[in-house]
Amino acid sequence: MLLIILISVAVIVFFAGNTVRIVHFLRMPTPLRWELYPIPKGPRARQRYGGSYFEQSDWWTKSHDTGRAGELAFMAKEILLLRSVWENFRGLWLWSWLLHWGLYFYLLTTVVAILAAVLRAGSFRLLHLAVLYGSPLACSLGVAGSLGLLVMRSLHPRLRGYTTRSSVFNLTLLGAAFVTGLLSLSDGAGLDGLVRVLLRSPASLGHYGKISQAHLALVAFFLAYFPFTHMTHAYMKYFTWHGVRWNDSPAIRDPQAAMRLAASLQREVTWAATHIAAGGPAKWSEVASDPGGRGAGRA
Amino acid sequence: MRKIGDIASRTGQLTQVHNLAPLPPPYDRVEDLPARKKLKQEVLDRIDTSLDGFSALGLSRPQTPEEERKFIARFLSGLEKLLSADNNWAFLEPLNLSLDHCARCQSCVEACPIYTASGHDEVYRPTFRNEVFRRLVNQYHKSGGRALAWLKGEDIELNAATLCRLLESAYRCTLCRRCAQACPMGVDNALLTREIRKLFSMEMGIAPKEIHDKGSMLQLRTGSSTGMNARAVRDNVAFLDEEIRDQTGLTIETPWDKEGADVLLIHNAGEILAWPENPMAFAIILEAAGISWTMSSDLAGYDSVNYGLWYDDAQFARVAVRQAEAARKLKVKKIVLGECGHGHKASMVTADRLLCGDLNVPRESALVLLRDIVISGRLTLDPSRNDFPVTLHDPCNMVRMMGIVEPQREILRKICPQFREMTPHGVDNYCCGGGSGFALMSGYNFADWRFSVAGRMKLKQILNAFADCPSPAVKKYVCAPCSNCKGQFRDLFQYYGVWEKSGILYGGLAELIVNAMADIRQPFIKWEFH
Repeated sequence: MLLIILISVAVIVFFAGNTVRIVHFLRMPTPLRWELYPIPKGPRARQRYGGSYFEQSDWWTKSHDTGRAGELAFMAKEILLLRSVWENFRGLWLWSWLLHWGLYFYLLTTVVAILAAVLRAGSFRLLHLAVLYGSPLACSLGVAGSLGLLVMRSLHPRLRGYTTRSSVFNLTLLGAAFVTGLLSLSDGAGLDGLVRVLLRSPASLGHYGKISQAHLALVAFFLAYFPFTHMTHAYMKYFTWHGVRWNDSPAIRDPQAAMRLAASLQREVTWAATHIAAGGPAKWSEVASDPGGRGAGRA
Repeated sequence: MRKIGDIASRTGQLTQVHNLAPLPPPYDRVEDLPARKKLKQEVLDRIDTSLDGFSALGLSRPQTPEEERKFIARFLSGLEKLLSADNNWAFLEPLNLSLDHCARCQSCVEACPIYTASGHDEVYRPTFRNEVFRRLVNQYHKSGGRALAWLKGEDIELNAATLCRLLESAYRCTLCRRCAQACPMGVDNALLTREIRKLFSMEMGIAPKEIHDKGSMLQLRTGSSTGMNARAVRDNVAFLDEEIRDQTGLTIETPWDKEGADVLLIHNAGEILAWPENPMAFAIILEAAGISWTMSSDLAGYDSVNYGLWYDDAQFARVAVRQAEAARKLKVKKIVLGECGHGHKASMVTADRLLCGDLNVPRESALVLLRDIVISGRLTLDPSRNDFPVTLHDPCNMVRMMGIVEPQREILRKICPQFREMTPHGVDNYCCGGGSGFALMSGYNFADWRFSVAGRMKLKQILNAFADCPSPAVKKYVCAPCSNCKGQFRDLFQYYGVWEKSGILYGGLAELIVNAMADIRQPFIKWEFH
């Protein structure tokens, strides 16, 4: 029963925590532009060398590619192949790739197991086979990846000084979850069995062995812990890449830009340096229009 | 190996610059280089050099416990403001994204030219200062931060030494953003570095004199960071018009404050004083191509620099608004930014969402206009006049941060038969080492660091680009379409004796175009003015 409560709470914290995090960022004021090239938009020829619409004369009179196809293709390589790590830290790549693919397979297998349980699709042999083979594959990759990363983080001179207790804890947690996931197969459970029981008759979870229960407890803990860690980069990449790094959309084309700016300029500035607002608190509009840079503000 | 917590050490210097990445001969002979500037004991007693023995700011460390307490309190007050929407709406989102999502994977470190040039000194690792800053934010800003920091083993003692070193360290990064390109998470170390600078400037009034007092403050007061007021700039440009007549026989009168012109040309005003051949070349090209253009004598309307981009949002906004107001007043069709990299980015990118309505006068790069003129055939060009080895420096702000990569290359391919690329180039280029204001900063002994560390990878690249013709008898040209980069090359080349050893000159793009103009009687590039 305790395990059921733990899992239920973890699922709620997972969804609530991630939602709060996303909403928190969505509600932040629109920042100034800070893009970085190459940006995968525009004609292919230009994308190849990292060029932008600024290369055209009178660029504001010409149509720009605002499509997401290039971004999606780029991001697919980043997510599936860990391209940046491959290009910039080859020694880390294999272990990181194994861990990420362990997580991808685990997630995918869980989704398929939930689907099979909900559809009561015991006779769907394909779904059954997917879970049967997906789960050990996911856990094996995950074990190799987390162990490899733990060793790398402890020994590699590039990483050692930046390996904190929390990095070790995160990798150990993931490693333990994958190890117990692998061992739970010999426990007679398997992911499909656990998911089916959880969804259909949670009370009978106690019939499963200690390893399977430990696996579920570790996964539950990970779910509740995840939204409070840097591992949220899994989806926050949307903000860092699409929202900042690739956001080259010009204000001249944005009918909402003036409205957003007006709201921001009404915000109060309390920075204390004398050249900002020497006369006391001021609005950003006053600070920006202060002609001498001597400090705006209402005395 | 240095640990992150060492930044709080109350005594000693965190690192010493030695074991630098090797340069090719004859630049590998350390004994040929000027001796490093030795600071007098009285100066060393007064300023903080505990990061690496150099000082960019001349920062005085608090002398008494009470002064230290106040210093820390002001920092913490600034930290709260930096992380508030009211005070930092302009960068709050990217700041938080970069603070929260670093996986500490160190994929970015080899991309940093300073870390590489320093021989992989831990203190110059692009993640070092930002890991310190991230830990301070987690520990002192977030609720329950101190307990969590202790639990995670990520606690850092917050004392005057920590803060002095953190700030100095923020001026050991040129904001070139190569590391940000390498990050799998999209974390931007350069942005974090700029935010650290900003906190100290906007809350505590601490910034390098060269970019604040003698930079943005001077620009807002007189109209230009050079100190030239409207009258002085008009007099100086009139002198350049005479120079054009003397050198080329062309009669050109630079148009001022011409209402309704197609183009408002805004140079980095430093060009007018330090590299007058550049504005002269622009005047010759625009007149020859029949462009309707003008310059503005309004406050900041004749100087495209905006140093706030590197350290202070208020200064940034003030200058950006003044420049746009100058263009609006003249009712020009567009602003064309001269050869100034940070001026490009400040005006065309970062200020974009600050300038709405009729203040958002369209802005274009001079490289694009020059490309159109050269390719259109409006000038009679003779490439044989530029038949010497030429390589191209990509200013980070124009290229990596704006994607203006090809226009300058189209020009060079057309007019320079011996054009060759550096490796790497384009959006992967190395910074000149003078970025983010460094080219202006030489106070105390900072220049020595700038030449020996910050500019090292670029020098190596330039020498490699001309490896097939190393003799000083073969005159070579580094095309650097950015004033800041030219300032760095001027000082860097002098420090290493690059002209004497290799016969390499630096200069702008417009000069090469005029040098190739068949109807200009004598060569426009004066090699003797190296």
